[in-house]
Amino acid sequence: MNHEETAMISRCQQGDQEALKEIFDKYHKKVYRIAYGVVRQREEALDIVQEVFIKLFRSIKNFKGRSQFYTYLYRMVMNTAIDHARKTGKQFISSLDEEGSFEPSDNIEKGPERILLQKELEERVKSAMNKLPAEQKAALIFRDVEGLSYQEMAEAMGCSIGTVMSRLHYGRKRLQELLKDYVDLHGQSRGPSKGSYEGKT
Amino acid sequence: MRAKPNEALARVERKREKWMKNSCSSVSKFLEKYFDGEVTDKERILVEAHLQDCSSCRHELKSLEDLKAFIRAPVEEAAEREDFPWVWQKIEKEIRLQKKLTPWQSIRSWLDVSPLFRRRVWIPAAATAVILLFITAQIILRKTPSYPDASVVEYVESETDNVMVYQLEEPRVTVIWLLEGPEKEHAPT
Repeated sequence: MNHEETAMISRCQQGDQEALKEIFDKYHKKVYRIAYGVVRQREEALDIVQEVFIKLFRSIKNFKGRSQFYTYLYRMVMNTAIDHARKTGKQFISSLDEEGSFEPSDNIEKGPERILLQKELEERVKSAMNKLPAEQKAALIFRDVEGLSYQEMAEAMGCSIGTVMSRLHYGRKRLQELLKDYVDLHGQSRGPSKGSYEGKT
Repeated sequence: MRAKPNEALARVERKREKWMKNSCSSVSKFLEKYFDGEVTDKERILVEAHLQDCSSCRHELKSLEDLKAFIRAPVEEAAEREDFPWVWQKIEKEIRLQKKLTPWQSIRSWLDVSPLFRRRVWIPAAATAVILLFITAQIILRKTPSYPDASVVEYVESETDNVMVYQLEEPRVTVIWLLEGPEKEHAPT
């Protein structure tokens, strides 16, 4: 944590709303990405961003500086997002919830069909992510979306590095099973993975 | 006796497969760490050497990349599309509303936000209440006797006149009624 950030946090702890605005400017995209990663729905992710910064303003006095500020913030985002997902999870019924209900087409080059396939893939990924335990889901988002190191993840999740690795491993294995139609397990990628998201990693 | 060249080759191939299998199991524990960029230099060299020969581990690595793309790409796209200034405005407004208010400010704030007071419907409501109160008071007061604390001390009847004596406690007044026949009544004090 650099001196500038320490000063900004200190001002925010004294109730300076301008300091909160500076924190918002610096972190809102990251907060949104984590929130969106969990709920995968725009309006809800924006609600979470709003809720997190209001919560932060109220509770920043509790931040003692023992960890990195962003890991403190990310933990708050993750907890808020998982709470939201729990509340709305029961309402989420995916049409692709049944495994094997979707047969990928070989002809994915056609525009509208490809868009449709991509939408279906997104829904399938959302459904698969919702089936993971919250800790595994959090680990995957911290690692694959935000690119946190194991050490940073351990700090944000309040666990050991070994636990982080275990959560990542089991989360990935479960996702591979749930998305087996799309994931290149044996060198035969069948789904839209070849075309839709290639080159974006 | 020397082994035939084909048998020797097969043996070498079996040994190689066995080594690869062992190597897979020893490398697989580093594969995710390698993918996440968390290996040491020594581990990285080991994994990369193994990957050159092992298609199974290459496919495993590819599947990890696919998964990462599935998780990450829609998030990136959504974040790029988003416009955030209005989110800050909402946060600012919410914080302003939640700031601690004095009791008087709370009342004023309630009056400001209460639809009842905002729409001024309270004026006819208050007028109606006053009228109802007035009417009720009238009904109650009408049932009260004219001299609530009065008591008849004495009543004397005769053939020509009747006399009735009232005494009031507060104010202390004595009222004497003289009744001269049914038509005439005097109330001397």
